[in-house]
Amino acid sequence: MKFSLTRQAIMLAVLALLPAAGEAIYFRDKISWRSPIPPSESVNADQARAWGQNAIWVDARPDEEFAQDHVPGALSLNEDRWNELLPEFLAAWSPGKKVIVYCSSLSCNASREVARRLRKEAQLPDVFVLEGGWEAWLKQK
Amino acid sequence: MKTPIVAFALSIIISLSARAELKWEQTTIELHPTAADKQAVGHFKYQNSGKTPVHFKSVHASCGCTTAQTQKDEVPPGDKGEITATFNIGDRTGTQIKTVTVETDEAANQKTVLTLKTVIPQQLEINPTFLFWKQGDKPDQKTITVKVGKEFTVKHLKVTSSSPDFQTKVEEKGNGEFQIDVQPQETKNLIASTLTIQPDDSQKVFYATARITNAPTVQ
Repeated sequence: MKFSLTRQAIMLAVLALLPAAGEAIYFRDKISWRSPIPPSESVNADQARAWGQNAIWVDARPDEEFAQDHVPGALSLNEDRWNELLPEFLAAWSPGKKVIVYCSSLSCNASREVARRLRKEAQLPDVFVLEGGWEAWLKQK
Repeated sequence: MKTPIVAFALSIIISLSARAELKWEQTTIELHPTAADKQAVGHFKYQNSGKTPVHFKSVHASCGCTTAQTQKDEVPPGDKGEITATFNIGDRTGTQIKTVTVETDEAANQKTVLTLKTVIPQQLEINPTFLFWKQGDKPDQKTITVKVGKEFTVKHLKVTSSSPDFQTKVEEKGNGEFQIDVQPQETKNLIASTLTIQPDDSQKVFYATARITNAPTVQ
């Protein structure tokens, strides 16, 4: 009796595994994930506010969203008009200033991309992505 | 004793067949626009292989730079169609992966994620795009390295400084690599220059910035 129960349990597990494996293969393109931002490259809203005048806020959202509302004093820098907006940002930057880049859940990965380009292409230090983005800042407002 | 196993297997088979309604030709598309293209457009084709109509509840792009359109809201059984995803390239570079989430009223498979992978050709890789000298620093020469993308040929680079306060010199290093030497006349004043970098036979213009910045902020 004990043996038959074990065998039945194993068979059920195998039966469950078969469609699960099939689904994993068939729907492999639908599984998506993002690598987390390393803690050294992100900042929470509390910490970012505490930096005060030592930080420049960068809004990576599209122009329309920036025009609607943005963090006071933030500069617009998005990849739609990167070449045009970058010099304006660089004119405001000075050594020792921290850079906080944010986007919203609607503009997905934009802040990560903008931060990456500032670090890699412009070779700026102390560039951080705001955890929770625009929505997190709004909550704290 | 075999009854529960058979019932379990049957329930799996039934549930799998019930979800197979909207069949996608492909859920991932890779696009290779030219350097002159402003947009990249992917067509995600589908067919309703089920026996009941499928309704789109929402089609949502992961990014403001991507739009997605359905041809219709309802897909009758056997009908075909497509979702068009348009990615605005803007000043983006490299490989861009954007997704479109499609939600339908199918019982088992309500959400499908369509992936648009766009490989943007990069004619020039400029590193760094920003050079700065602190006010009062020695006006040393600094260097920008320019690498030509594999699929491009560039024989000469024209570099222009928007300000006469910065001198530039271009040197070809071979193997599709150039070196741009930049030097300010002095570092007393807070001045800036936009460096315009243009390959000889291209309309495309690239930019770098050179600046004299103020002293570091006291923290």
